Amino acid sequence: MNAPKKVLVVDDDPVIRHSFDRVLAGKGYVVISAENGQEALNKVAAEEYDAVFTDIRMPGVDGIEVAEQLRVKRPWTPVVIITGYGSPENQARAAAAGVRGFLHKPLTPESIEKSVEAAVTAPAVADQPAPMPRPEEEPEEPKERSVTVFFKDVAMFLAAPFIGLAYIALFPIIGLLLLIWNGGRALRQRVLPG
Amino acid sequence: MRKLYVHQLPIRIWHWINAIGCVLLVLTGIQIRYVGLIDVLPFRTAVIYHDWIGAIIVGNFFVWLLSYMFSVRIRVYHPELDPIELFRGCVRQAIYYSYGIFKGAPNPFHLSRTRKFNPLQSLTYQIVMLLLLPIQCFTGILLWDLSRFSRVVDMLGGVRVVDTVHVGIFIIFVFYIPFHAYLGTLGRTPLEHYKAMFTGYEEVPEDQEAEKSA
Repeated sequence: MNAPKKVLVVDDDPVIRHSFDRVLAGKGYVVISAENGQEALNKVAAEEYDAVFTDIRMPGVDGIEVAEQLRVKRPWTPVVIITGYGSPENQARAAAAGVRGFLHKPLTPESIEKSVEAAVTAPAVADQPAPMPRPEEEPEEPKERSVTVFFKDVAMFLAAPFIGLAYIALFPIIGLLLLIWNGGRALRQRVLPG
Repeated sequence: MRKLYVHQLPIRIWHWINAIGCVLLVLTGIQIRYVGLIDVLPFRTAVIYHDWIGAIIVGNFFVWLLSYMFSVRIRVYHPELDPIELFRGCVRQAIYYSYGIFKGAPNPFHLSRTRKFNPLQSLTYQIVMLLLLPIQCFTGILLWDLSRFSRVVDMLGGVRVVDTVHVGIFIIFVFYIPFHAYLGTLGRTPLEHYKAMFTGYEEVPEDQEAEKSA
């Protein structure tokens, strides 16, 4: 049986840290979290990790600084930056720090699992970080539309307020169902841990 | 900060004509409705102003409608087809407006060229612009010349029904307009979004924090 892979998640937002924990629980990973860059560096100095996932913006030592220091101290540890849109300056710094890639927000359970799996299994490719998407690089909207697309767009446009009203009527039911669903999941995890 | 061009010129012109027009319609409407209690304008003058401003708003609505219909930007008014996703987005945004903003939490919504409205805005604007405003314009036209449109008015249940619908939506707008103006002040500075509605450019952080979800 393979030893569980250790993943360090560095983010000042507890929601992000818990997301990793929740998604990776019972899938062969041990998730350890740190609230800031300094805490992460202390933890990495104390033990080995199979991958480090870090936010960029944090008080004190930021995520790229964590990556820069790890590149010197633990060059074999893959570092993945958790980010929304990256500025050119941060992209250049991240490239220089040799990060393994970027995990783009908003996070989904699939994106977390896929990214962690890729980070802990793929061979190191330092200096070749995945490109950061920037808002300027968003695909330009097409200037022309086919007649079918035009009518589809207009139909959706005209249907929007009625769909909206239907949603407003459904919201209390959706809220209740989500509450039952999430409550059930939490209860199941508590009763049957792992 | 980086500038993102999100409000095109026709939309900005439409927006300010609509904003000023709607405020004037509400004020003249109050004068018409509460003649005797409020006497800022003579009744006939208030009716004439109300009719003319209403005609401008109807024309302006068609400028807005056509400018979106013949642009791919029409998609900013498309509905979210996943009700759970919309529900989560609305709840997240409502929590931010009612609590997070006072604690300095980041806005869960991030603007892009293809996502101009947050989930709450999107839902509200779809209903206001594509349902309430057209109904208000339509009932306003019917009430403008009752004798000319008497057959349509009768078909709809009579003057009382048409007038009740018109006044009902007027009351919704009386609450909606100040709320809309207040939410417009919730940028990084109170005038940020107002300025954007003149220049067309919204400012977004270079490295914006994205939605905290998963």
